[in-house]
Amino acid sequence: MSDLAIEAHGLCRDFGAFRAVERVSFTVAAGEIFGYLGANGAGKSTTIRMLCGLLAPTAGTAHVAGFDVGREPEAVKSSIGYMSQKFSLYLDLPVRDNLDFFGGAYGLFGRSLASRMAEAVAECGLSGLADRITGTLSGGVRQRLALACAILHRPRVLFLDEPTACVDPLARRLFWRVIRKLAGEGTTIFVTTHYLDEAEHCGRIGLMAAGRLIALDTPAALKRTYVPGRVLLARGRQLALAASALRGQAGITAIEPFGAGLHLQVDAAQWDEARLTRALLDAGAREVSVEAGEPSLEDVFLAALGRAEQAA
Amino acid sequence: MSARPWRFLRRVAAMSAKEVVHIRRDPRTLYIALAMPVIMLILLGFGFSFDVDHIPLCIADGDHSAAARELGRAIFGSQDFAAVDGDSVAAAETALRRGQAMAALVIPAGFERNLAPGRQSPVELLVDGSDGNLARHILGKVEAIVRTVSLRRAGGALSPPLSVKVYTLWNPAGRSPLFMVPGLVAFLLAIAAVLLTALTVAGEWERGSMEQLFASPIGRLEIVLGKLLPYLALGMVQLLLVITMGSTVFDVPIRGSLPLIFLAGLFFLSGMLGQGLFISVVARNQLVATQAGALSSLVPALILSGMLVPIENMPRILQAITIVVPARYLVHALRTLMLKGGGFSVIALDLGAMLAFTVAILALATLRFKRRLA
Repeated sequence: MSDLAIEAHGLCRDFGAFRAVERVSFTVAAGEIFGYLGANGAGKSTTIRMLCGLLAPTAGTAHVAGFDVGREPEAVKSSIGYMSQKFSLYLDLPVRDNLDFFGGAYGLFGRSLASRMAEAVAECGLSGLADRITGTLSGGVRQRLALACAILHRPRVLFLDEPTACVDPLARRLFWRVIRKLAGEGTTIFVTTHYLDEAEHCGRIGLMAAGRLIALDTPAALKRTYVPGRVLLARGRQLALAASALRGQAGITAIEPFGAGLHLQVDAAQWDEARLTRALLDAGAREVSVEAGEPSLEDVFLAALGRAEQAA
Repeated sequence: MSARPWRFLRRVAAMSAKEVVHIRRDPRTLYIALAMPVIMLILLGFGFSFDVDHIPLCIADGDHSAAARELGRAIFGSQDFAAVDGDSVAAAETALRRGQAMAALVIPAGFERNLAPGRQSPVELLVDGSDGNLARHILGKVEAIVRTVSLRRAGGALSPPLSVKVYTLWNPAGRSPLFMVPGLVAFLLAIAAVLLTALTVAGEWERGSMEQLFASPIGRLEIVLGKLLPYLALGMVQLLLVITMGSTVFDVPIRGSLPLIFLAGLFFLSGMLGQGLFISVVARNQLVATQAGALSSLVPALILSGMLVPIENMPRILQAITIVVPARYLVHALRTLMLKGGGFSVIALDLGAMLAFTVAILALATLRFKRRLA
């Protein structure tokens, strides 16, 4: 096969009359970090479960690590690691026994299991915790233990379903450090999240809404496509009133409140900092300052959603 | 090719090892498996006794004769009855109504006179019929005593032409524990085994770890066997405990082969563990699994096993149902092996039936166990 780690063609999944995933197609290259974004209920977990051989697709096909998920789910399961959304380690067991068990489930034993355990423990920053009861660990540490359990058998593809839900920012940063390192060593990462800031870590991003994949590209390309103009940040007083006066003027694509200020998408040919400052002052705002901003993935997500809704 | 069974065993071993750690870390499991059966055996072994003695009985003697006193001595001479005051018919009735006496024997005036040869001299027995079993028991005992006394009075001259000499084999004293303990063993093993496994698979569903297991190469038969084996070992320890208790505390003999007893226990336990797994696989929820597990093990083992009520006495339809109740075969096998002795051939049918149940229920559990979600 090619060096594609994941290939999905027209994947669909129905639950009764409800179509959770609607004709989703994409490919993920080996060693890539692929982010799968979407609101709760958008079909992220359903997609991941189909790719892991946990749910049979209603229609369409998918290959993971070269194996057909519908026809060779066992071969798929041996070559992937999976961290489910629900925290699913055995909380009554010590760290060591959890690792032991998942290693055994993947057929590791004896010396190879011991050496893989040592590696995974070091990689995931769990040194010195082997005898701790899992239930007494913090959320972030448990998450890294779940990750360690999922990478014991050196999977070629690692599926992470909302791995950092309910984990504090520092723990999230630690977690992502491990993920980037694994990807650097050649593991393909497929990760779902609804933290848009996390998606910046991903090589490419797929955006899910209502079961459809509505956008797919690198973060930078997505920003260029969906936020084509410049982003200007305005601060000042009585901005809200001024904003409604600016709405609908030529060259202004979007105005969103952003903290105490305004977040504007503008056509660079028509608008710059000086013109926007003047326009806001004319519209009644005071003490206005405008600076250039970076489009965020939130802008992209909202723009993509808007376009998808228009198309529908 | 040879790597396949090897990997299979590895994964079963990993599953079992994990269960063993769970068991070691959860004292409740050990309590259900080991302490509960011992406590229940003691409670039920003494409680489920059909041996009644010192039944309160009063004699309303209207005759005050030597013969009446002789009958009284014969009745209270045994351990079966204890005397209660009630000198007149009216007093006896009051004693019965108040529950102070379970029975009253009324000896009418002229009792001795009527004992002359060729005449009949009736006495009257009033029995509290509200406890049917006890009433029947009293009736039998009093009748037997009265018959003995009347034979003695007849002086052998009129000895009846037919007589039955009864030898009760295996349990000559008719002690309840002797036939209750083997039944209780089946009952206790059934409850503990079904409950333990019913909880374990449902627990994985509730915890969410089942999804994690399904995403790994571990197969459903591997999960089922891996879960079963540690509890089977625990069940065998439990069997050893209750058998030891039965023979030491209740003096139940073990006349047959001990290894055969354990073989029968092994087959039965496997079936019960399989039943628990099946429930657990279907229920996916510990609460439902516990309820269904307790009900489906307790009721058949208690009522349909022949432990309390002989299967031959049941309505046809219930008799037919008992054919698929493994407890029935274990109760029969244990009663045979413990009380009567005998070898493999006597319990071969029981072993075969239990094995068939085990294979069927494990197959069913494995098949129903979908390795996919939803």
